[in-house]
Amino acid sequence: MSLVLDKHFDNDRCRNYVNDILTVLHCHHYATLFTQLAIDARDIVNGTKILYETSEDIFSKALTDYFNKNNISDKNERLKLAQEMFSAFGLGKIEMASLDENGGLVEMPVAHIDDGWLQKWGKFNSPVNYIGAGYIAAMLSASFDKPVRTYTVEEQESKVTGAAKTVLKVSV
Amino acid sequence: MAIDRNKVIEQMSKVSVEANSDGLIPAFNVLVNSFPAEFWNEFTRRMVDAVNEDIVDAVEELFVNAAHECGYHTGYGIITSKEWDAIVKPMVENTEDILHGAYAVFTAWGWGKAEIVELKPNERMVVKVDDYYESDIKDSCAGKKAPRMMAYMIRGVSGAFMDLAYGGDYDPTGESAMYTFECNQTKGIETGDSYGEFVVEKRNES
Repeated sequence: MSLVLDKHFDNDRCRNYVNDILTVLHCHHYATLFTQLAIDARDIVNGTKILYETSEDIFSKALTDYFNKNNISDKNERLKLAQEMFSAFGLGKIEMASLDENGGLVEMPVAHIDDGWLQKWGKFNSPVNYIGAGYIAAMLSASFDKPVRTYTVEEQESKVTGAAKTVLKVSV
Repeated sequence: MAIDRNKVIEQMSKVSVEANSDGLIPAFNVLVNSFPAEFWNEFTRRMVDAVNEDIVDAVEELFVNAAHECGYHTGYGIITSKEWDAIVKPMVENTEDILHGAYAVFTAWGWGKAEIVELKPNERMVVKVDDYYESDIKDSCAGKKAPRMMAYMIRGVSGAFMDLAYGGDYDPTGESAMYTFECNQTKGIETGDSYGEFVVEKRNES
């Protein structure tokens, strides 16, 4: 089964919905500036953790809701749909290099945050894709019926630091 | 005013924004994303909640600046896009029409039902916004009421729109023509008002 996107604009409230989720359009400037804000706040608050966990929480809800509404219980099908939803949100492209319920590796040859960052500022000295990493954690927990924070996702390689693609390590 | 606001909203809301085979949405000279609105609100709320009261103002300013920069570049992308040319440009007679058209597009993008209620060219603009998504932040706050006005995105974008209208030629680096205006929020649905109100004025450099 392929991902079904039911998009509609509520003419009365002027709001956009995708599969009954309220969505808004923003740009890479906004997403990367939120990321930079989280990084810069390190001395006063763990902003990158907040960004990662917010991403995990919100996308986990979106994925779980989709799986439940469409009665999707097969784990591999869930992963595939989550992969498609990542792209539908405009987040880029996921390739599951080696991944199962116990973790593994995920690759992002294209990523909204990384490519947007490179487009805006060029290379940086550390990985920046906390939103993408949070999504991967959500993808795993939603697909395998685990609570959020079950998985830890860290960038092993990042396009922003010069790698050809972003590689994320998933562990339990 | 020459802008047929309802027509712009109706037509712009139908513009298809789809990801390409790489999972990216290149449009309006930027990479667009289409996240759940709750993501933006929740990160904002958690960040503001996490910092000490004495630096909340500084964090709020960072959120406003993020939106200002976004609004400046994406706003320029919108008013130079083929969609703008097809739908809005035929109605534009002057700079003020561009601003009215931009807020109609703002509305069509699902940011809030925004309309200019006062405009003194190159001086001051007041924008009334109903049902903006940032006001939903109240649903995550104690008592369903935010402790402060938190529509940082609208503040930033509104300042940016005035920069684009009156701040000089668009500067892709953002160094020369951005932040010539600033916006303050004077009413907020999230704090109990019936609508949001945003006042944009020239930035005081002193």
